[in-house]
Amino acid sequence: MDDKAFEPKILGFLCNWCSYAGADLAGVSRLQYPANIRIIRVMCSGGISPHHLLHAFQKGADGVLIGGCHIGDCHYLKGNYMTMKRVKFLEGLLQFAGYDPRRLRLEWISAAEGLRFAEVVREFTDQIRSLGPAPTFEAVPGMDAHPSEAFSGRGEFMA
Amino acid sequence: MDTKIKSLLLEGRVDGFWGYRTMNGFPFPRLFTKENANELEPWRPTVARYPVLKLLLREMRMHSDRTYGVLVRGCEERGLRELFKWKQLEPDKVVVVGQACSRELADCCECRQPFPDLLDYGEPAAPVTQSRKVDALQAMAMSERRAWWLTHMNRCIHCHGCRDVCPVCFCTECSLEHRELVSGAKLPPDSSFHLVRAVHMGGRCIDCGLCEEICPARIPLRSLYKEVNRLVEEIFDYRPGVDEGMSPFTFPGDELLLPTG
Repeated sequence: MDDKAFEPKILGFLCNWCSYAGADLAGVSRLQYPANIRIIRVMCSGGISPHHLLHAFQKGADGVLIGGCHIGDCHYLKGNYMTMKRVKFLEGLLQFAGYDPRRLRLEWISAAEGLRFAEVVREFTDQIRSLGPAPTFEAVPGMDAHPSEAFSGRGEFMA
Repeated sequence: MDTKIKSLLLEGRVDGFWGYRTMNGFPFPRLFTKENANELEPWRPTVARYPVLKLLLREMRMHSDRTYGVLVRGCEERGLRELFKWKQLEPDKVVVVGQACSRELADCCECRQPFPDLLDYGEPAAPVTQSRKVDALQAMAMSERRAWWLTHMNRCIHCHGCRDVCPVCFCTECSLEHRELVSGAKLPPDSSFHLVRAVHMGGRCIDCGLCEEICPARIPLRSLYKEVNRLVEEIFDYRPGVDEGMSPFTFPGDELLLPTG
């Protein structure tokens, strides 16, 4: 795929109370931002299971944006604490699985920050564009023998 | 194993004891009671490892009024503590007898504590603090590491063995069986299958390595979960299996355990 044809597909999980309202404000303020983002409204960023995030990558999302309320503003008091912990951990895990953690982004965007929402989407789209299409999560046939097999899967010690 | 455990059984301090009995030259887990206490054998070091906690958990869910004893290794003791913390077992209904692992087994597992704190049998082996396997993986380039993992995960036959054998997988309903997230018709399953399981292991994995041992596809899962543990320790300063504290992925109460920096 040549770079010209590459348009990032970005999935946005936005919290109903802050970021989604922020996106709404960006819309009614007629702010311009890239149309690469598809938004899913969730009731709380803390309700996003890592399962859904990984599933999005698996289904071919080039980037995933999570928008939540600022710390302390959570409608459910501590939902975004959970988001913060999960994302931090998931970034490390993606990195270990050989998947660029920069494709996952967590931003706190309040309902009043329409301008910031537009900026974040623009920034993130540019970043994903420079990273290129996301590598596939699928193994392709013929990848079975790997030259740099550091060790066999099973423990060497069998009794 | 015979005298100590026999006295536990005969004095009625435990209703049943999960120990091992040699059959065809191999030790197998077995539930001893007062009736078959004379079948107990003297303790000897073995490398055979079984999901005894899983057996114990099942037994205790069926008979919540009984007290059980169990012979544990270092990893199993850590698992027990996690099960106590997650309120799956009652600490006063479990009597622990500890056995140490041999040096070979500890080296093979790259175990950080190859002996329980309550040690009754065997000599404690030296802990292995640094995982050679995880280091080898971290030294690879990201794309190479991805290819390496995909190669292994490509062999997955979606048997759920890693989950079924795991001592800290105690959910009665598993999101890996959610057909809209994990297709049952796809083989190998999406590689996100193992990553999702790794997320669930965050703050829980006690590094016993049974998942890797049981995996029919020989997927090096243990390295994945070792990294999971390393991340949890690095970000949240928490180690599963310690007496104090709770997993950072339990809902925040007074102790928020937010990542530093």
